[in-house]
Order: sequence, then C-alpha cells, then structure tokens
Amino acid sequence: MAVGLLVYASLGSAVSYYLTVSELLDKGSELYGERVRVAGKVANNSIEWDADTLELGFVITEGGEDLLVVYEGARPSGLKEDSNVLVEGEYRSDNTFQASTIILKCPSKYEPEE
Amino acid sequence: MGTAEIGQGAIILAFLAAIVSVVVAGIGAYTSSRRLISITRISVISIAAFYSLALATAVFAFLTRDYSLRIVSAHVDSNLPASYALSALYADKAGSMLLWGWLISLFSALIAFRKHEYDNSILPHMLCILAAIQVFFLAMVTFVGNVFEQNPTPVTEGIGLNPWLQNIAMLVHPPVLYISFAAVSVVFAMIIASLITRTPDDQWVRWVRRWTLFGWCTLGIGNLIGMWWSYNELGWGGYWAWDPVENAGLMPWFLITAFIHSISVQRQRNRLRRWSLVLAIFTFEFTLLIPFITHGGIESPLHGFIHSYFPPYILAAILITLAGSLGLLYIRRKDLQRDERSFSLVSREGAFLATNIILVLLTVVVLIGTVLPRIVELFSGTRIAIDRSFYDRVAGPIMLVLVFFMGVCPLLGWAKTSWKSAKSSFLFSLLAALLVAVVVLIVGGGKWYVISAIVCCFPFFVILLEWFRGARARHQGRKENYFRASLALLDSNRPKYGGFLVHIGIILIALGIVVSSFYSVEKVSTLDIGQSMKVGDYDLTYDELLLKQDNVKISTIATISMSKQGRLIGEVYPENNYWFYYSPILNETFREVAVRTTPAEDVFVYLWWTSFDQQDKSATIIAMVNPLVVWIWAGGGFLLLGGAIAFSHQDKRESQHKDRR
Repeated sequence: MAVGLLVYASLGSAVSYYLTVSELLDKGSELYGERVRVAGKVANNSIEWDADTLELGFVITEGGEDLLVVYEGARPSGLKEDSNVLVEGEYRSDNTFQASTIILKCPSKYEPEE
Repeated sequence: MGTAEIGQGAIILAFLAAIVSVVVAGIGAYTSSRRLISITRISVISIAAFYSLALATAVFAFLTRDYSLRIVSAHVDSNLPASYALSALYADKAGSMLLWGWLISLFSALIAFRKHEYDNSILPHMLCILAAIQVFFLAMVTFVGNVFEQNPTPVTEGIGLNPWLQNIAMLVHPPVLYISFAAVSVVFAMIIASLITRTPDDQWVRWVRRWTLFGWCTLGIGNLIGMWWSYNELGWGGYWAWDPVENAGLMPWFLITAFIHSISVQRQRNRLRRWSLVLAIFTFEFTLLIPFITHGGIESPLHGFIHSYFPPYILAAILITLAGSLGLLYIRRKDLQRDERSFSLVSREGAFLATNIILVLLTVVVLIGTVLPRIVELFSGTRIAIDRSFYDRVAGPIMLVLVFFMGVCPLLGWAKTSWKSAKSSFLFSLLAALLVAVVVLIVGGGKWYVISAIVCCFPFFVILLEWFRGARARHQGRKENYFRASLALLDSNRPKYGGFLVHIGIILIALGIVVSSFYSVEKVSTLDIGQSMKVGDYDLTYDELLLKQDNVKISTIATISMSKQGRLIGEVYPENNYWFYYSPILNETFREVAVRTTPAEDVFVYLWWTSFDQQDKSATIIAMVNPLVVWIWAGGGFLLLGGAIAFSHQDKRESQHKDRR
C-alpha cells in the first residue's frame, strides 16, 4: 500500500506531456510553466551557438508553426538543420521554450543493437 | 550454390525438424512410447545441427563480406575488423533472433543428450515445449524477417557498423544476454512439463536450479556489461537512464532473483511452491518482452527510433504462452494447495518471502513506468512521458530497503527463530554500520554517503560475522587456520556462501550507484589551447589538438593534462571523430571518452565539440568526476564469482531434503 502511494505521488511530478510544436502552440498559455516534451524539426539557418557562454538557441518547426528553443550547455554534436529533435523543458510565458534536455531522434536507417 | 541458399536451406530444414519434433514429442508424451521418445531426441538434436549450419553460414558471410546478403551489406563494410564483423550479426534484428534461437536449440540438444537425467515421462514434454519455442523463433527469421534475404541489386560496399557498436562490450553484451534468455526458456519448459506431468517438486527443483543460476548470472552480467558500455561509449556520463530498453533487461532479472530465493526455500523447507511456479513463468514472459521493446514495441529515446516487423508476433507469443501457463496453473490448482503449510514470518523462509514480494513490487513499479505512457496514449490519445525522477523516487528507496534486508535474512534460521539467537549479531552489525556512518560524517561525507554507509555496511557486517563464526567453529574444531577455514566453509556449502559473495557484490553495486548518483560533478567549458578548467579537485589544461584522418574517419584528438592540488597527475586524450559512413547518416560525430579511474572516483573527459578545422582549435570540453563508479563493476565481479560457486554445487538425488543450514 505504501508503495502504491509512493507510485501515485511520484507519478504526478514525473509525468510530462509529449507534444508536437503545433499542438503546444494550440494549447498556448495553459501550458506556461509546465514541463513538456516537444518534438519538431530544426529550422533552416536558425541555430545560434555561443561556444564561450555555452548558450544555444534554435527554432524547431512542425505543422507550419515555429518555436524558439533556448538551451544552456554543450551543443549536441548531432544538432543540424533539418534534424528531428525532442526537447524537454519548460514553456515560458514569452512563448519561448527553455530546454533542459535535447534528444536527437535518429533516422530510421540507424539500427543499433538495442 | 551460394551462401544465401545454403543458409536458407539450413534454416528451413531446422524449421521442419522443429515441427517434426513438436509433433513426435507430443505424441510421445501422450503415449510414452520409447521409440517415439528416441526419435524426438534425434530430431531435437538435428534442429541444433541445422541451426548451427545456418549460423555458421551467416558468420561466414560476414567474415567474407558477402555483400549479396542484405544483412551483411547493411551492417559491415570492408574496413571493419573481423571481430566486429561478428557483432554485426546481432546488430541486425533478424540476426539477433537467429542467435537467440540457435542458443535455445543448443540447450535443447543438451537436454536431449542427457536423457538419463530426466524420466521418460517428462522428457518428451520438455522437448515438445522447447521445440515449440524454436518453431516460433525459426518462423520469425524465415517468414517474418528473412535473415538470408538477398539484395535485389548488386552491392559493392556495405554501410558499415555503427561506431558505437565497435566496442568490446558490445561484442559480448548481446550474446551473454541471449544465453540467459535461452537458459530461462529451458527453465520455463521444465516447469511447464513438470506441471503437466505432476512431477514431484524436489525433482524439478533439482533440474531447474543450475539452469536458473546460469540464466540469472548471465542476465545480471549482461546487464552490467550494457551499463559499462553505456557509461564508456555513449558519452553522457551515466550508466543507467531508466530507458525502456534497460528496464526491459532489469525486470526479468528481478523476477529470476526472486525465483532463486523461492526455490531455495523449496529445497530447504518445501514451501513457496506456488511463488516459484508463477515467478518462473513470468520471468520467461519478461524475457520475451525484451525483444518486444527493443524491436520498437515501445518507443525508446536512448536507443533510437527503430522499428522491425517482429513486435506484433512477439506480443502474440507472450499472450499465448501466458494464457496457456496460467490456465495450466488453474487446472493444477488442487495439487498446488497440497502441502502448502503456513510458516512463521520471523524465519528465513518468511524473510525470503518478503524478499520475493519486494522484488515483485520493484518489477511492477518499473513495468508501470515503462508501459504507462504507451497505454495512456492508446486509450486517451494524449502522449505523455515519464522522466527518471519517477524511478529514482520509487524504485530507489525500495532497492535500499532490499539491500538492508540482505542483512536480515542470514540472521534468521529456517523454520522458527527466536529473537534471542539473532540479537547479538544484529546489534553488533548495526552498531558497526553506525560507527562507519559516524566516521563518514566526521571526514565530511554528505547525507547520502552516511545513508548508504548504514544501508550497505549493515548487511556487509552480518555476512562477515556469519562467515567469521563458521570459520571460528572450524578453527576450534579442526584446528584449521582462519583463512583455510573460511575457504573450506565456502566449499562445504557453495550455494550459501556463493550467495553471500553475490550479496557482497550487490552491496558494492548499491554503494556505487547511490554515491555516484548524488555526488557526480560536471563542468562544461569551451577552451582555447592553453586554457584551463576546474572540475572537483582537478585542474584540466587543454594543451593541444591533433587532426588525423584514416580510411574510416577524421579524428580530432585533444591532449589534456590533469593535475590535482597543483601536482600533475597525467595526460588524457579524448577524441571526437567524424566517421565517413555513419556521421552523415546519423548527423553525429562520435566521441571517445578519456577516463582516469581510481578506486575512489573516475575522471571523465569528453572532447564534446570541435570545429574540425586546423585554424580554429577551440573545443568544448565536458569533464565529470564520478565517485565510486568502479565499485559497480567490481560488484559485478563478485556477482559472477558467487554465481559460479553456487552453480558449481550439484544437488544429489539422495540429499534432497537434507537441511543445509
């Protein structure tokens, strides 16, 4: 029973919505401050990377909608224009996305062992 | 006749032999005809022979780079060293199913060979079930995904193997896991056959014990090798991400661990039979869940978004075998109630029961985290993700309880224990653990150092004390010196002391995990040549960057000198490589981490980003200090050693009910 409670209590804070860019923008302000994962494609000429301050910014696009993503930390080496990414973090009230994690989706040709 | 035809032919013959085996074994089981049983044995052995031929053909195709085969051209190229050409076999989805099925065929043949071990009444049942499992695997690699599929147009060069997989750990990790899955299917076949034939418990427990230990040990080691690979190769500084694929390997390990404890109670006290049966069945089902998840049944961010055609079939196999097994349990429910006497909870069997419950809870928790997002999506259309804080918060504390509990079990005797006999050991170990915790606190260890010191030292001291007491008894009784007495003790009861060694391994692993999770330090900096950064107690200076090119990649190799408290302690050479074949496909360069390992901590240095330009040598360096990680791998050594020692003990027919305390 204690474990059940623990599961229930921990799920609440660990669950995040998993949306595409257009879905996120449709919901708009109701998601401000929420932890979400957003999937999209890196837009052309949008990557700005300052190696000294370790600030990264790029636009992800999906369904004709754009979202500016900002991230602090090392630039993921696979981050290129047109690559599919999954960003995890917080949607802020200035309509930008503060990412805490960037996951690069691999193309289907990629077949690792596991 | 080309390689493809030979391989294809061998696979089809193996498939036919498997079908013949199922039919003949089925009739043989029904009629108990000796003749049919002999035919079954021969046909089961012939499956393994044909299977081996098919596998040898595939390996030959890889080694000779026969690009007419899809499986070869998709995974290797001419520059790949021969040893990695082997790992390319299981880099392929169908190839990995081939390897797995082949191992099951070998183990089945082994059982058919050792016919005197098993009664004629049960042998055909076992072989029938094993052959049926093989029919499934063979159908997968023949009709669903053809291993020996030929490329429609001539191919002159292969794609090459993903650089991440060009690593010794990845050469070993998959086969070790497949060995364990195959061993688990043998255990499953034995259990189901025993249920059908109403074989007495003491017999099947004797049969499955060593197969179970073998499967348990290989599964644990296989998972640890996977962790080691993830830590050293993937370049994120961690070894466990609670990724669905990792969870898939962990869940059956929890269950098989519970099963081992359960049959141990059966051996000694003839209790917990129902637990054993259910655990064995679910361990098997969870090993099938692994390919379901890895082949894309559940999306897994860390391991890429790949899909194969197997998942629906695997899911069907899981549901069919699960329904069949549970149905059989239901039919045999009267037998299962027999002799199930109650027992005191304050006893070793009570403690083992509690262990089983904890392990099953852990499995349920991990399963919820793994499949919940998928289920929510199926039913509500909303996509959600569960991050690792869920597991850390729920599974973490349960695991700590379990580790602490490992100290309680040895204190309790079988049957009934009076608190008195256990009291002195309990108090002594607990006080010693608290003393260690106080020392840790005084030298400045943080909260989690203190907690893990108590949780891990308590069971550790209990084990040492038990061992010491046994040795002292021998020392006094037989005048052996303590060292000799300790070893003789180990030899006299290998299951028990092998188990102790395993528990020491688990304690080391737990300590490594807790401490490295809470006290890892990470620093990111972009440096120019000559600049330094500080991480933990270490100063790293970026001295030089070298550009190099060979047949397969452009390498950038940094020279970084490391010093601690002003004293130079060495140089490390992290790399960042652009692989001609893979980097464009993956949009990614591949890093080779440089590690400096000491018993206390690992210093990890990644050359995270460079411009690959002679003119601009600035580089982003990620450095981490991960304390006690090497204890995890050392714990793995104890796991293997203890498992092997327990395995080396063989139950004799006569000594079944002898109490082995």
